[in-house]
Parts: sequence; structure tokens; C-alpha cells
Amino acid sequence: MGLLRQLLYFSVHPNQLRSILQWKIWHDPVHTRDPKKESATLQECFKYLNMTSRSFSAVIQELNPELLVPVALFYLILRGLDTIEDDMTIPLETKEPLLRNFQHILEKDGWTFDGNAPTEKDRELLVHFDVVITEYKLVKPQYKAIIADITDKMGNGMADYANNAEHNVNGVNTIKDYELYCHYVAGLVGDGLTRLFVESKLANPALLKRPELAESMGQFLQKTNIIRDIKEDLDDRRRFYPKEIWSKHVDKFEDLFDPKNIDVALNCSSEMVLNALRHADECLFYMAGIKDQSVFNFVAIPQSMAIATLELVFRNPEVYKKNVKITKGDACQLMMDSSTNLRTVCEIFKKYTRRIHKKNTPKDPNYLEISIACAKIEQFIESIYPTQDPKKLSLIHAGEIDPDVEKKKAQDSEAKKDVFFLLLAVVGTLLVISALMIGAAYLAGARFDVAFNEIKKGMIFPKLDNGSEGPQTIVDQHDHGEL
Amino acid sequence: MAPVTAPQKKTLGKVLVIGGCGFLGHHIVDLLLESYKCTISVLDLRTTRNRRPDSDNVQYFDSDITSLSSILPIFEKIKPDIVIHTASPVAVGESSESKAKLRNAMYKKVNVDGTQCVIEACQKTDVKGLVYTSSASVISDTETDLVNADERWPVVPAKNQKEYYSTTKAIAESHVLAANRSPTSPSLLTCAIRPAAIFGEGDVQVIPGTLSAYTTNKTGFQLGDNNNLFDFTYVRNIAHAHLLAAYALRVTSQTSIAPLDHEKVDGEVFIITNDQPVYFWDFARAVWKAAGNQKGTEHVWVIGKDVGLVLATVVEWGTWLVGRDTPFKRRIVRFSSMTRYYDCSKAKRRLGYRPIVSLQEGIQRAVAYWLEEQKSEGEKKGQ
Repeated sequence: MGLLRQLLYFSVHPNQLRSILQWKIWHDPVHTRDPKKESATLQECFKYLNMTSRSFSAVIQELNPELLVPVALFYLILRGLDTIEDDMTIPLETKEPLLRNFQHILEKDGWTFDGNAPTEKDRELLVHFDVVITEYKLVKPQYKAIIADITDKMGNGMADYANNAEHNVNGVNTIKDYELYCHYVAGLVGDGLTRLFVESKLANPALLKRPELAESMGQFLQKTNIIRDIKEDLDDRRRFYPKEIWSKHVDKFEDLFDPKNIDVALNCSSEMVLNALRHADECLFYMAGIKDQSVFNFVAIPQSMAIATLELVFRNPEVYKKNVKITKGDACQLMMDSSTNLRTVCEIFKKYTRRIHKKNTPKDPNYLEISIACAKIEQFIESIYPTQDPKKLSLIHAGEIDPDVEKKKAQDSEAKKDVFFLLLAVVGTLLVISALMIGAAYLAGARFDVAFNEIKKGMIFPKLDNGSEGPQTIVDQHDHGEL
Repeated sequence: MAPVTAPQKKTLGKVLVIGGCGFLGHHIVDLLLESYKCTISVLDLRTTRNRRPDSDNVQYFDSDITSLSSILPIFEKIKPDIVIHTASPVAVGESSESKAKLRNAMYKKVNVDGTQCVIEACQKTDVKGLVYTSSASVISDTETDLVNADERWPVVPAKNQKEYYSTTKAIAESHVLAANRSPTSPSLLTCAIRPAAIFGEGDVQVIPGTLSAYTTNKTGFQLGDNNNLFDFTYVRNIAHAHLLAAYALRVTSQTSIAPLDHEKVDGEVFIITNDQPVYFWDFARAVWKAAGNQKGTEHVWVIGKDVGLVLATVVEWGTWLVGRDTPFKRRIVRFSSMTRYYDCSKAKRRLGYRPIVSLQEGIQRAVAYWLEEQKSEGEKKGQ
């Protein structure tokens, strides 16, 4: 966007500008990493983190110091794996063993890889992967074990997909395949992170007993990205929408992009949104298990972005033309609101859920199912933050509380408070101004001691008659009969 | 549909379904036949409609529950192990004062006095378990929202209850619960099921009421903002819950050890929903859609709740002046813009309840049935 266009945009969307400025000015990270205390190789690692990640690098760098380095390295390692998997120019004979043995590669000092195509965006990371390995070796063994385990599982999962000719030609077939794919690339990350959080005692160990919650965290993000990126993926000749879903709406996958099929194409993407939306309540449930503020922000920000993105792509014809993104202002607002507590994040989910519900149309074959999915999120939020209290309702019925009287009482006390604060403000202002004036007078040389002594003698009003004689004669001089 | 239980059908012994020819009652009879090992008897005021074929070996008895002397001989003859009491008049609003009075008297007679007779008959004939069909409306005063309400929510006392029907259901429910392990007849176990807005094949309220807006071309109105969640429960799921409760009572009655408090079914109430609350107008639109409506929501005119209440007041007075009745009442405005949904986890935990038919499937079935009925009625008229 050109500067002029940006100016124009913000002049009609002041809220967007306000959010961006607020985030820039007021955002106060829970923790800030200190590059001065870091080794040269670790600083290099963070350089690559900034290069390879748009959305995660900021939240990672604000993490609790205990987890900052392990999580950053975990990200870089998986990104490295992903860069090998993604690159279609690497022959399968080279690719497969790399993917399957990546957890052992992590132990090889000085290992680097320059087999990526020059166009591969994250090529540099693998060219300098030795810095990641150096730092990985310094990580606490319990964290290393978790990272290695997930790397092993993800590498093998990716190798299976790379091996699967069918997948490469036709994309994903069934919803089950689709979810398995999302499990390998995202669900496993959720699993690994959860184990890191619990190991560092920053999350409730109960999360390990409910692995489906961490899985949902990953699935929700990955599915949202897949829905949003459909056009970009098509241009890269990849397709992740499962055939089981799109074939209900069109005969050929490419037909989704034909403007004359827009109605069915929207029904297809809304079915994909429905599928993703069903994870939302488990994501909220998961976040209730996080104990540390920085970890909470780390998990909550991407989730809030995801629900907002889902709302944006829902019944939006633009997704078939370009990669739609939430505006920068909205993103800042979401980051700000998500860096607080679960209750606020629930409010965000409720807000976007209701927007999805509003856009839902009976013409959609999944109309009722979408409505039910939205309602389920609302019901879940209600179950953790109830708005009604049965005990209070009983008292109302018993006549012990009159709801109107209660309301009035609350209003009255609120009004009393208001008056109190108003008076406080007035008196305070007066005091401050008086102090300033007295102070200014004192600095200017006023003799308060003299004034005080005079007052003590009972002379409250200054005697003007003595001093007024002089001037009066001067006035008289100029005043003789000229008028 | 697949049978509810695994290959091994659960045994229920001798079951008497009171109101077994009614809307809910005949679905209970159907489900008993499909999924349970038992002998079935039905007691109803009239047993001509919703009757199973003779080959199913269901015994039918015509009798009036408001008279103990007429039902007692039937109880004595059958000697039921389980009694499921679903008989209740249809709750409808009446336009005139005098009609409303008559109807209220009937509500009391059937719901309160009738249920008393059933309890007494159970106690006199050594019935093991009594399952009573109450209503989720006993905790709703028709005006205050119910947000994710569960069994902890208080029953609305008569003085605050605006629907007299609900008052009578609440009184009957309290009698049924009081009869659980009562000192005089400790062997009778009881519980109550509270269904939320029941619909299905043969219902005379939810589906016909919703579809009347479609057939009279009134789908272009929406009262309230449609953010209000509502529970509508497919009849078969409610039937299923009744039988789970009946089975639990039978099992409890057969074991000598009293159940733990958090597992107890006897003496308890259970809210039953489809576990799929939905935005009020979305349900209506889904029903219209099932009946063939092609429209989206572009033509819909949204009337806020407050404006709706004012309009309805005007219409109510206007039609009253010219001596006619209107479907557009304040009661309807309130109903369609209020939040009223429940949390049925207690039934899930203690009865093992899970809806067996989804909301979507339930709507399909109910609307298909309604369309079929309309067609045959039309043919009758054409003849």
C-alpha cells in the first residue's frame, strides 16, 4: 500500500490506526529477551527466527526465560524440517532419509544443508543450520527429549506424505486424511509445546491427560490457514481441501475458482469453516490450563487471530481470488486483547462466533450445522463463565431479593461513588492549583512570614489608607478640571 | 435407524405407558418395541390413534387417570414393574378468559390430580419404578432468560409462574419425587424427565407453529436480534431418556445397596435436550428450509424486541376491539426473542444419555411427516 493510500485508509478507519498506535505505544511485554547476555550463535538463531516467522517470532521472544530458547529452537527445527518437505525440487531419495532422520541430524555438529532451490524462502536457515544445532545441544535434556520426539514423529509423518504419490497428484482425499495431515504439521506441535509447558511447570499437568485439547489447538490453526490459503496453494499446485468435502460442491477442484460457481464454492468453504469451528471450544478449554502469563499470550494470540481469520474467510468470495488477511489494525487489537486473560479471549471468540452466525445463510447446505457449531462455542463459554446464578434466582423467587431493588441499590452506590470521585477531583484540582500558585508566589519572593504575622495580629485586611495617599496626589495632579 | 442398544437388548420387565397413544407416548412405545426386552401395555383416554398393530402384542386400555377406581383394576391386572407416565393435555394459549379458566381447571385435573392417582395406583400394586414426564418449563417464568440452565435452577413458584400449565407440571413433579422411597411405600422408586421444547412427527405445537409462518408467507420477519439460543428436542431422544431412566430405576430397585449420591437416579429430575442449542430463528429457518423454502435472509425484516412488544400490544388491542384473534402476541414476541437453553450434562453423567437423533435429522423427519399429513388432508378435502 502506498503512503497516500494508507493515509486515506486510516482517515476513514481511525479505529484501525488507533489500535496500531496503542499496540506500538502501550504494549508492555511480560518478558523481554536480552541479546547482550546471549552467545553469538544464539543471536544468530533469533535472526533466523525473525526471518522465517512472521507471526510467531514476536510472541516467542516475549516468552518466559525458562522456555524462550527451547521454544525458539523447537520452532526453527520444525521450520527446517518443513523447508525440506516443502521443496519440490529435492528428489525423493534425498528428501525421505533427511525427513526420517532429522532427530539424529540434530546431534551432528556442524550439519548444514544447501540442497534447497534458490527460490525457497527459508533456504538460509538450513544453510546455517549448524548454529541451531550448537544451541540445541545446550538445552536442558528434558526439553531436548521432547523436541527430538516430536521431530521424529513429524519427520516420519512428512516422509509418509512425500512418499504417497496419490497425495502428490490428487491432494487430500478424506476428512480423516486431512486431519491426519493437520496432525503431523500442527497437532504434533501442540503436543510438543504442551509437554514443554508442563515440564517447565508453566501449565497444568492435566493437559497431558487430555491430549485431544492440544491436538485441537494445532488443528484449529492449521485448518484456518488451509482455508485462507486455498488460492496461494493452488498457485503452488497444492491442495489441502479434502476431496470428501469439495466433491460435494463441485466436480473438479479447479471449478471452485470459476466465478460462475461462486455460490457452490462458498458453500464448500463454509463447510471447511464448519469443520474448523468444531475445535474452538476445546481450544478455549486448553487455554484454561495455562498458568504463566507469557505462555498464555503465546498460545492465545494465534488462536484469536485464527477465529478472526475464520470469520473473515467465512462466505467471503475473495478467498478464491487472493490471500485474504485480517487488517493490521485488527491484528494489533487482537494481540492487545489476547495478552490478558481467558475471559477476554472468550469474549473475542464470542464476538467472532456471532459474526459468523450473522453471515450464515439458510441457502447453505450446512446452515443448521454451522448454527449449532456457533451455539456450542457460546454454550462452552457460558459453562466456564456463567451469567446466571441459580442460588440468586432461588432468593429472588423466595422474595428475599427483589431484582429491581438490587439494581437500584447498585445504581445508587454507583452514583454515590461518582459524586465522591467528582468531589475528590474538584478538591484535588483546587489543592494542586493553590499549591502551584503559592509555590510560584514563594519563588517570586512573597513574604509569607510577614503575612502570617500580620494575620496573627488580627489584621486580615491590609491597611490601604497609608499607601494610597501618594498615588491620590498624582491622580489629583492630572485631574484638575480638564474634563 | 440403528437400534439404541447393542445386540443384547436390555430387559425392562412389564412396562405400562400412560398416555402411550399420545405424541411422546407412542414414540416411547415404538422405542420399547425396538430396543428393549419387555411386555408393553398402554393406558390412555382414547386408544384409537397411534396404535401399534396387533402383531406387536401391545395391550391397550382405555381409561381416565383422574379416576383411581378406573385405573386401579388395570394396574392390578397388568402388575407392571415400570410405569412411564407421559399423559398430559396439550398446552395452548386461549383467547378468551372463560375458555382459559376451563382449560386451567383441566390442566390441574389431569396433571395434578391424575398424577396423584397414578402414584397411588403404583404404590398399591407394588410398582418398582415410576418415570414421570415433567417439563423444562417448570424453571422458566416465560419472561426471564434461561442461560445454560441445569437442574440446580429453582422451580418457579406458582406466584411467579405466568403459565399455569407449568405450575401444574411443577406440582405434579414434586408429588412424584416425594413418592420416591416414601415411608409408606419404600419400594417405589421415582424420577422425573424435563424435556425442553419437544418436537417431532405428530407434534401439534413446535413444527406446525413454525410452519404456519412459512405457509402464510411470513418468513420475512424476525423478532429480536436472533442471538438468543434455544433448545428444541427431538421426541425420539426424549423417549430414549425416559427408557434409560426406567432402566436405571429397575437396576437400582434390584440391588440392595443404595446408590451413591452422585450416581443416584431415583428421586432426581433430569433436563433432556438435543444437546444442540441453536439460535431461535435459525431453527425456524431450518424448519422452513426442510419444508421447501429456498430463500436466504436477504428479505428478512428485523424487528427489535422492544419495538415488537409495542407493535404486538397495538395489534392485540386492535384485534380485540374488532373481536378477532391474532397470532402476533406479546407472548410470541417474548418467546421468540428470549434465551432459553439448558445444560443436560446431569443426564449424560447419570443416565448415560446421548441424543440418538441429531437436530438436523429430527427436523427432516418431523417436517416430512407434516408435509405428508398436509398432502393427505388436501386429498381428503379434494374428494
